Amino acid sequence: MLKDYLPREIYNLIIKNFSFADINEIRMRANENLIIVVKNKKYYLKDDSGNYIKPSTMIIENFIRKISENSIYAFNDNIKNGFITLPKGIRVGICGTVVMEGSKVITIKDFQSVNIRIPHSVRNCSLTAFEYLVDDEIKNTLIISSPGNGKTTFLRDFVYQLFAHNISKNILVADERSEICSVVNGKPAIDLGGFCDIFTNCTKEYAFKNGIRSMRPDVIVTDEIDLDLDLNAILEAINSGVAVIATIHAKDLSQLKKKKNFNRVIEEKFFSRFVVLSGDEGPGTLTGIFDENLDCVYCR
Amino acid sequence: MKWLLIIVLISIIMLIAHSVSEQYKDKYDFILNLKLFLQQFKINVAFRKEKINEFISKIKPKRQFSLFLSEYQNYLSTGSINLDSIKLLDEEDKEELMDIITNLGKFDAQNEISQLDNFLASLEFKLSKAKEDKLKLCPMILKLSLLFAIGLAVLLI
Repeated sequence: MLKDYLPREIYNLIIKNFSFADINEIRMRANENLIIVVKNKKYYLKDDSGNYIKPSTMIIENFIRKISENSIYAFNDNIKNGFITLPKGIRVGICGTVVMEGSKVITIKDFQSVNIRIPHSVRNCSLTAFEYLVDDEIKNTLIISSPGNGKTTFLRDFVYQLFAHNISKNILVADERSEICSVVNGKPAIDLGGFCDIFTNCTKEYAFKNGIRSMRPDVIVTDEIDLDLDLNAILEAINSGVAVIATIHAKDLSQLKKKKNFNRVIEEKFFSRFVVLSGDEGPGTLTGIFDENLDCVYCR
Repeated sequence: MKWLLIIVLISIIMLIAHSVSEQYKDKYDFILNLKLFLQQFKINVAFRKEKINEFISKIKPKRQFSLFLSEYQNYLSTGSINLDSIKLLDEEDKEELMDIITNLGKFDAQNEISQLDNFLASLEFKLSKAKEDKLKLCPMILKLSLLFAIGLAVLLI
């Protein structure tokens, strides 16, 4: 897949030195060493003479032109949000100079670095937690981990397990940044089973509001909620009798507690399960499952 | 036999004149097609936002313009371009065309539209020049050739 986009010499060096199936990230920063992240460990890419590979600004700009199929204008909404999703769920984060008009982001130009994140479907990674999250009903659940520690992978597998266990539910996936299903040209690149309706590239508020009206979901699944912006939409869903499974960035519960509005989450009992993941034994290590009072129901 | 030779000679002269005058028509058609292409592309950028490749694949071009589009698609896939196959363009035209090809799709919608407006403005001048050439030179070439052929025929008789 990346063969079509990366410069040939860089691609050849990567496949020569690493197994593509193990790579989590490829980081290119202008004129800095190219970094390959394999199983959460960083490696610098070197050529055959042992010199570090340092991609130039031109290489990064050409890479972005290629992934946008020479049509930056068609991807500008994604670029403004700082990423482009490629087929097979590969997500390219983009950094550069942000062009603003007042408080509105117009575009990003002078690209300086890209982070290519390669998703890995880890089947059954949510199975241990599954029985704690589903009994007679699917519990409102918040999945917590720091970036890159398997929240989205867990979420994808959990949705798949609902299908695999034939828990016949209508699942609405509110995939704001096309990260859960990696929809490209209207087709999801990741198999979440057959129970999913997907809203992609829209705000959570829109997906929740319109999804509840039009798709009659039993569960809404969403990624990376913001306790400042998304709580009302979540509350609306919960009060409509729709279960919500969401993820959030935080290292652990103590860090989550420091977030704005977390007290409201606990007081109003938005979620009855908190799943904490860490990278202790590789990404997606299940550290604990907590109930609505933050008492541990499963501790490693 | 002599008459037959005269008729053949006049036909050949007129055929050459016709092909020369056609080049002016072709150039005008090419620039007109390019203008229409950029106008449609501008609408695409503003509303549908289809990627360039998808946009081009829906266009059904005529004659020389199809060469341009196939060269463009080749540029999109390989990054290299050769406009030598488009014979009716001079070097200056080719440079301008290269400028268009290598700059389309580089910006967000707002800037892309501004850029397209610039290209269209410069094309407008070229188009009026090509139209003038077509209207003036085509009939003139045909008339002069006919006169030359008749003169030659009179001499031969």
